[in-house]
Amino acid sequence: METRIRSLIDQLLKQAAEEGFLESEVFFESDVSTSVQALEGKIVQYESSDASGLSFRGLFNGQMGYAYTEDISEDMIPFLLSQAKDNCRILEVKEKVTVYEGEKEYPECEFFNEDLIKIGYNELADTALQLEKKTLAYDSRIESVDDCYVVYSSGELLITNSKGMVCESKENGISVYIGCRARDGEDVQTAGKSWSFTSYDQLNMDECAMTVGKKVIEKLGAHSVPSVKTSIVLDRFAARSLLGAFAGAFSAEAMQKGLSRLAGRVGEKIANTNITLIDEGMIGDSPLCIPFDSEGVSAKRTVLIDKGVFVSALHNRKTALVEGTVSTGNGFRGGAKGSLGISPTNLHFEKGTLSFEALLEKMKDGILITALHGLHAGVNGISGDFSLMTEGFLVKDGKITEPVNQITVADNFFDVLLKIEDLADDVDYYAFDGSHIQSPSLLIPNVSVAGE
Amino acid sequence: MLSTASMERILAAALSHGGDFSEIYIERTKLSSVSLLNGVVENTGSSIDCGIGIRILEGDKCVYVYSNDIYNEEKLIQMAKNASASLKEVPGGRTVYLKPVIEYKSQPCIISPSSVAKSDKVYKLRKAGETAKNYSSMISQTSAACSDAEKEIWIANSEGLSVSDTRCRTRLIIQAIASDGNDKQTGYFGPGSGEGFEFVEKYDLDEKAREAARIASTMISAKPCPSGKMPVVIGNAFGGVIFHEACGHALEATAVGIRASYFTDKKGLAIASPIVTAYDDAKINKEWGSYDVDDEGTPSTTNLLIKDGILNSYLVDRIGSRRMGEPSTGCARRQNYSYAPTSRMSNTFIAAGKSTKDEIISDTEYGLYACNMGGGSVDTSTGEFNFAVNEAYIIRNGKICEPVKGATLIGKGNEVLMNIDKVGDDLALSQGICGSSSGNIPVDVGQPTIRVSEITVGGQA
Repeated sequence: METRIRSLIDQLLKQAAEEGFLESEVFFESDVSTSVQALEGKIVQYESSDASGLSFRGLFNGQMGYAYTEDISEDMIPFLLSQAKDNCRILEVKEKVTVYEGEKEYPECEFFNEDLIKIGYNELADTALQLEKKTLAYDSRIESVDDCYVVYSSGELLITNSKGMVCESKENGISVYIGCRARDGEDVQTAGKSWSFTSYDQLNMDECAMTVGKKVIEKLGAHSVPSVKTSIVLDRFAARSLLGAFAGAFSAEAMQKGLSRLAGRVGEKIANTNITLIDEGMIGDSPLCIPFDSEGVSAKRTVLIDKGVFVSALHNRKTALVEGTVSTGNGFRGGAKGSLGISPTNLHFEKGTLSFEALLEKMKDGILITALHGLHAGVNGISGDFSLMTEGFLVKDGKITEPVNQITVADNFFDVLLKIEDLADDVDYYAFDGSHIQSPSLLIPNVSVAGE
Repeated sequence: MLSTASMERILAAALSHGGDFSEIYIERTKLSSVSLLNGVVENTGSSIDCGIGIRILEGDKCVYVYSNDIYNEEKLIQMAKNASASLKEVPGGRTVYLKPVIEYKSQPCIISPSSVAKSDKVYKLRKAGETAKNYSSMISQTSAACSDAEKEIWIANSEGLSVSDTRCRTRLIIQAIASDGNDKQTGYFGPGSGEGFEFVEKYDLDEKAREAARIASTMISAKPCPSGKMPVVIGNAFGGVIFHEACGHALEATAVGIRASYFTDKKGLAIASPIVTAYDDAKINKEWGSYDVDDEGTPSTTNLLIKDGILNSYLVDRIGSRRMGEPSTGCARRQNYSYAPTSRMSNTFIAAGKSTKDEIISDTEYGLYACNMGGGSVDTSTGEFNFAVNEAYIIRNGKICEPVKGATLIGKGNEVLMNIDKVGDDLALSQGICGSSSGNIPVDVGQPTIRVSEITVGGQA
């Protein structure tokens, strides 16, 4: 990190103390990225950025006030301090909030690959062009790869405060997104997928192209089906998006504010006995590891549901204090600009024993769901109700048959937890798909599917 | 701020190797927000966003670089040169001269939000929260928020254009949650305006608070929505979100220009029922989605998209113009400096028709009345869309009957447009945030009450 930034931060913390803040903290984030898009054999878009943001928070008047700037200059110190102070004067938060003194040790976690820095525009462009070409070559019915992006990004984070805590991290990586369109007569289908890698040699272009190509071709000929109550298998991608949409229900903040149905239910059975739900910051040497949260609390492993019983909520330091417990290391901000809330680190259902194929055989007849759409709108995060557009395949006698689309699945997340019949063994934290929420495929009986 | 001479040097550096057009977009935005939960001020923030984006075009190829470092001319010139070099052409020389700046004031505010004490905003929000809470004993939580942005932008390009604009926007949010055992239902409104604090002063947020509480209390007693294909009457104002998603996005040059939209090559052809006329109008005075000049410096327009069912115009930005051979319609927008601009909507709506809402309902033997829509999304290649319905009732024998909850509408945009068989006379607009490739931007959606003869409704029953 630039010394100019470091000295500016020191000065800001010093002046904060002089201006009467009892405690103060700086959250500084800086990102550099380069992105290329290939279309029709040319690079049509190249983006490069160098952006940073600095958030100050300080304790004044018994309240923790925030202010943020992207103009990182000494001139902004008065703005940050006066705005944060004004914000303290207006806040009425009852719970006590403080900054953290930090921990002696943090888990080792190094995801900065020096080799990646050398990757320049030419390599990225060449990769994007090849990915487009390979995807088009997968099948003659693929008429266009509308979105083919290759991105290099690196980020630095520094959290430091008046109690002497210094938490730093630095990471970089390559990500790829391929979105393509296939046509068979009047039938048009699209499919897309993203990957993230921590080194260039993890990228297998043929495999990426094949995955997306296969996905779109399999969708051709998809049709709706009559409305029915049926068994479904949510494949691991659909299952994790459903889990992600309702992860907020496990936040202690949501519970304390009466915005979660799980409030006051620790110790109760809330899921089938085959369900164990875990949040863990460090997962082996997976690039998904998160060594500390936005308060500087180190990564923990929290069992949320143990064999169907609700064991613990996710806490930050504020919610933990309210309940006389300790933070589970889930105090996160949505970027430097956001205020502190609660988010999972790496959340996943513990895997089952059946293979994906065996899970379909167990279902026998029903629908395999491969994607859920409209998760930002079609879910009631509080009641658990969802009604979502979806797509997938009919399963007859345990075998995948024709593709289906233009259908919805509707149920209630909390009811689903209780009736998950079985889980496959296909959770994968090393699949390079960059998702911090993972699930094995789930077999769920008696779900409303609406169609023709 | 960079001087005119600095901007000229950066624009020239951006064309030092390759590129036929360069552009600078500089932004400085003051943002402020405050939110209450159950009458308690839980969150408040103040921030300054600032940065510069440099764009180079060569044909329809785009290079975009951005940084927060808006004072460092040397660094910006180097970034511009590197960007230009990525176009892989031999160095050349180019000089840029900027014309005198054209000053726009798209959304001038009477009372600057940053000049107002947050306690004045809190007063209004607290009162609305109480109104919602007092509506019914079933209301268990309320939340209310106010956010505002004062944005100053400068645009300059290698054709010599130099433009500045100020845009002030204010938004209020009121939400009521009704509880009954395990069920919780929400009523929500988010009115916004292209004005300053004067909007907060004059807006009747209490009325919306009562309305939000009414929706939440009604939906808590609602039964699960039946599923299957049926006629659907879609309410006015935010009901227009379906048109926005299912038609508007597919008319953007972003999709049409690369032939990825189902409306490609459909100009002059019938794409909707003959009773449908629709606009994208960025020129409505003080509206949330309005602006006088777009983010490429092109003056905004009133764009007639569909006239009597016939596709009349697309939404075209500068790159789209190059790809499609049509002039820009002044619709290039971006969330901020970190996004290259692209073709986007502003205030998009279906124009008023002749039927009254009562006539439409009484003409419907059986169907769904989706009077308050939630969010949704669309795939502009296939036309497939999905929308949540926040408040809905069954229509039976021409009468609005019991409320139903958890409904989702799915379908294909091109089919739904053809299946609109009634258009009401009660056009109204509603405010929202639209997310797409150039970020999240404020837009209005709108329509009168309409009826779609058949649509797939997803529900738990």
